[in-house]
Amino acid sequence: MSSPARPSARRIAARLGTGLVALGLVATGCGGPTGGAAGAGSAAGRVTSITALDYYTDEPEHTQWGELLTTCGKTVGVSVEQTSVPGPSLIPKVLQQASSRTLPDLLMLDNPDLQQIAQTGALNPLDQYGIDSSGFAKGILSASTYQGKLYGLAPNVNTIALFYNKDMLSEAGVAVPRTWEELKAAAARLTRPGRYGMAVDANATFEGTWQFLPFLWSNGGDETQLDTPQAEQALQLWVDLVESGSMSKSVLNWNQSDVSAQFVARRTAMMINGPWQISALNAAPGLHWGVATIPVPQAGQTAVTPLGGEVWTVPQSASKVRQQKAAQVLACLNDSTNMLALAKERSTVPSRSAVASKYAEQEPSMAAFVNSVEAARARTGELGVKWPKAAIGIYTAIQSALTDQQTPEEALKHAQQIATDS
Amino acid sequence: MRSRSRPTPDGTPRFWEPLAQWLFIVPAATYLLLFFGYPIAKNIVMSFQQYTITTFYTGAAPFVGLRNYSEILSSDLFSKALLTTVLFTAGSILGQFVLGLAFALFFQRSFPLGRVMRSLLLLPWLLPLVASATTWRWMLDADSGVVNGALRDLHLSSGVPWLTGTSQALVSVTLINVWVGIPFNTTILYGGLQDVPTHLYEAAKLDGAGPVTTFRYVTWPLLRPVVSVVLVLDVVYTVKVLDIILTVTGGGPANATETIATQSYELSFQQFEFGRGAAMSTVLIVISLAFALVYLRANRRAQNV
Amino acid sequence: MIGIILLALMLFPVYWMVNASLQPTGNTLRGGWFPTHPDFSGYVTALRDQGRSLVTSLVIALGSVVLSLGLAAPAAYALAQFPIRGTKFVLLGILITQMVPSIVVANALYSAYNDLGLLNSYLGLILADSTAGVPFAIIIMRSFMQSIPREIIEAARVDGAGRLRVFRAVVLPMSVNALITAGLFTFLFAWSDLLFALTLTTTETVRPVTVGIYQYIGAQTDQWNAVMATVVLASVPAAVLLVVAQRHVAAGATSGSLK
Repeated sequence: MSSPARPSARRIAARLGTGLVALGLVATGCGGPTGGAAGAGSAAGRVTSITALDYYTDEPEHTQWGELLTTCGKTVGVSVEQTSVPGPSLIPKVLQQASSRTLPDLLMLDNPDLQQIAQTGALNPLDQYGIDSSGFAKGILSASTYQGKLYGLAPNVNTIALFYNKDMLSEAGVAVPRTWEELKAAAARLTRPGRYGMAVDANATFEGTWQFLPFLWSNGGDETQLDTPQAEQALQLWVDLVESGSMSKSVLNWNQSDVSAQFVARRTAMMINGPWQISALNAAPGLHWGVATIPVPQAGQTAVTPLGGEVWTVPQSASKVRQQKAAQVLACLNDSTNMLALAKERSTVPSRSAVASKYAEQEPSMAAFVNSVEAARARTGELGVKWPKAAIGIYTAIQSALTDQQTPEEALKHAQQIATDS
Repeated sequence: MRSRSRPTPDGTPRFWEPLAQWLFIVPAATYLLLFFGYPIAKNIVMSFQQYTITTFYTGAAPFVGLRNYSEILSSDLFSKALLTTVLFTAGSILGQFVLGLAFALFFQRSFPLGRVMRSLLLLPWLLPLVASATTWRWMLDADSGVVNGALRDLHLSSGVPWLTGTSQALVSVTLINVWVGIPFNTTILYGGLQDVPTHLYEAAKLDGAGPVTTFRYVTWPLLRPVVSVVLVLDVVYTVKVLDIILTVTGGGPANATETIATQSYELSFQQFEFGRGAAMSTVLIVISLAFALVYLRANRRAQNV
Repeated sequence: MIGIILLALMLFPVYWMVNASLQPTGNTLRGGWFPTHPDFSGYVTALRDQGRSLVTSLVIALGSVVLSLGLAAPAAYALAQFPIRGTKFVLLGILITQMVPSIVVANALYSAYNDLGLLNSYLGLILADSTAGVPFAIIIMRSFMQSIPREIIEAARVDGAGRLRVFRAVVLPMSVNALITAGLFTFLFAWSDLLFALTLTTTETVRPVTVGIYQYIGAQTDQWNAVMATVVLASVPAAVLLVVAQRHVAAGATSGSLK
């Protein structure tokens, strides 16, 4: 393929997706060179390039992933064409591609979506490729496993923790809260005109559910049965924080970026958020922040937080060779060296526990996250493909309780109905 | 050109007549059939199927008859979403039509910079919704938003929970939708006003009619065809509004701003119940259609056409 | 006076965006009423890679205007002035198309486009974006064209002009207002489309500016000044175009011939 023909070759590549024969080309009379499927990166059985789809359109992460994909492609002798779509449109795009058989060779999914996509049969189980999945945190393996088979691997994981403004805490003489009671007391003491003590994301999306899970799970609550005293107490805690005025009612409408913006603007002294906000916090002049594990109901208990992170998968395609190459790239993305480098770049946690503890020594500010990841649970760990319904039930309950439409008890009864509604 | 004798005044044989007339319509009709007929048919078929994520890959979608419809119509959210849709639509139409007409009449008087201002008024439509909806979210934030800030400075209120009160949130998304819709109403109504012959105004003036009388007996009757089109389109467009609500409130707080349209979207793209989502879309179309038919019939009766 | 105040209220959110675009990064909450220390870093970030998207958006929007008006004008004329049986049904059908949520259309088009090779192409997006413009333009132009007195058309026909010539030489000049109004909105529909652009493109080859903005916003952004700067920059060419278009709407363009 001569280089001037690249644009049209690219167009054909996109059209041919994963290497349909050139028949379609002739039929539609496209003006490109009808030189076979070289544009699709395979010449006579030799694969020279593969495609990858992720959902990091924003910088610097788009480039960080791109560089790693290129590096890993080189080690197995292929170039990787990276495409990124915004997060919310990833699943619709994947479904469209699945129906037209134009899935990429490598696909990034948010871990709670993996089981649903695996259920369709569009993904290859990874066991046939001999990829090393030893030493990975339990949570991430359970998120990537569907019906006993492993379908994806995540180089990095994350979770959420409690961020606090060091200056505000020392000025108010408040210690970092470890229990729910301490959290309520601290939030109340930190609240001033123009400033709240605490902020969470309680909006009507899966993000709101994700932020509530540490409170639900640490108290022994569970998504399989939502109308329990444990869940009720957790929800009551959030209601108390809002009713006492320690937390803004606007949490009903904030997403995690809004919460972070509140923290940066000194409008809240504490917040629940993830390590991906760290770069923004560090960029804020004069902001001294610390991070601790999320408070637990009683002293001495372990915080159980939800596990975040994106898994790489190998979708089904017509070419065994391409899938083989994609799997090799996937293995390279997940090797110990690369996962550590990536974690440092992106302020996330390496998925292998041994690598993660090494990382915690090097980056003390990440220790809270590393410790939480050890005990972190996958959202789909128990309910699998039924998780989205429970998640909708949970955020609906949060919204009803915080707006005083229902008591926590009534709201959770309703949530349970939503979750089990077939 | 008039040298040859012809069977009809325009020189085409009689059977050509309807054909020639249809030729004007055929290109547009073909386009519409291709680009709407197929999607609508696909959507209706989907609404009778159990269509899930797996269907996309395997193509297996068993027919389930009316089950999708009975499920969505019997869910406890449906009646609430229907009421919200009606309130949201009625409030939006009232706001954007009245204000749109007021702006159109305002711009009709010529004054310096009038033309530039008229173009400026289109800005709300020009801005990508996702950005303007985000801006509104900041502006309406209860604590740090500029709207409450202004109210506090003017000592009018200590702070309205624009986005976090269940009834206020519906008012807020309605207001934002009115803001987005005014340019549309103003532009079309203004165009309609331009076609009212000026000598009628002059005649009304000579008869000593005031502005109100002139509007009632000259402007309004002549504007009627345009008005009815604007109103029908307003309703049809408002019923399917999605991105404003999704960006500003996400259907919250506590489902206070869930409409049929957001429900349909969430069924399809959050719960991946594509069959039910398609059924909800069909319900949405039927609601629009029912309104349009009732309105057009009433309108025809009023005009005795 | 009241009109001016209302207009100021209408435009306030626009001002607020400009204000936000001039604030330093990550400062969406502490921003004052005025950008006292204007910070142009947002614009620098925005200009870096949105130039091409702007051109793409303009090409697609203008293409959509041409296509929509080309298809809609004759149809609107026929529906307004010809005694065609079935006009009512055609109109109802057109109205129904306006009721279909765009997402339904977008999903169906993806698989069709995939087979036809129209993904990631200007033509594909022009055709898809015109789904909003064509029916709308027919409805609007028809309601305007109904007010063209039959006598004028009859007179032209008696003079021996053919159907097409009447349409070209009499009807179109008399419908300038309608054409401009419909053209304006078809432009805006296509310009502001995000859904089709997201659904029907899979690469960066053809990327309208709305997608650029949407990708900026992403899941977790603190670059709001850059987002808003892009919005402001993107609005400038379109706004200029609108002002120019409106100039051509001469007041009472048709009133002269109606006397």
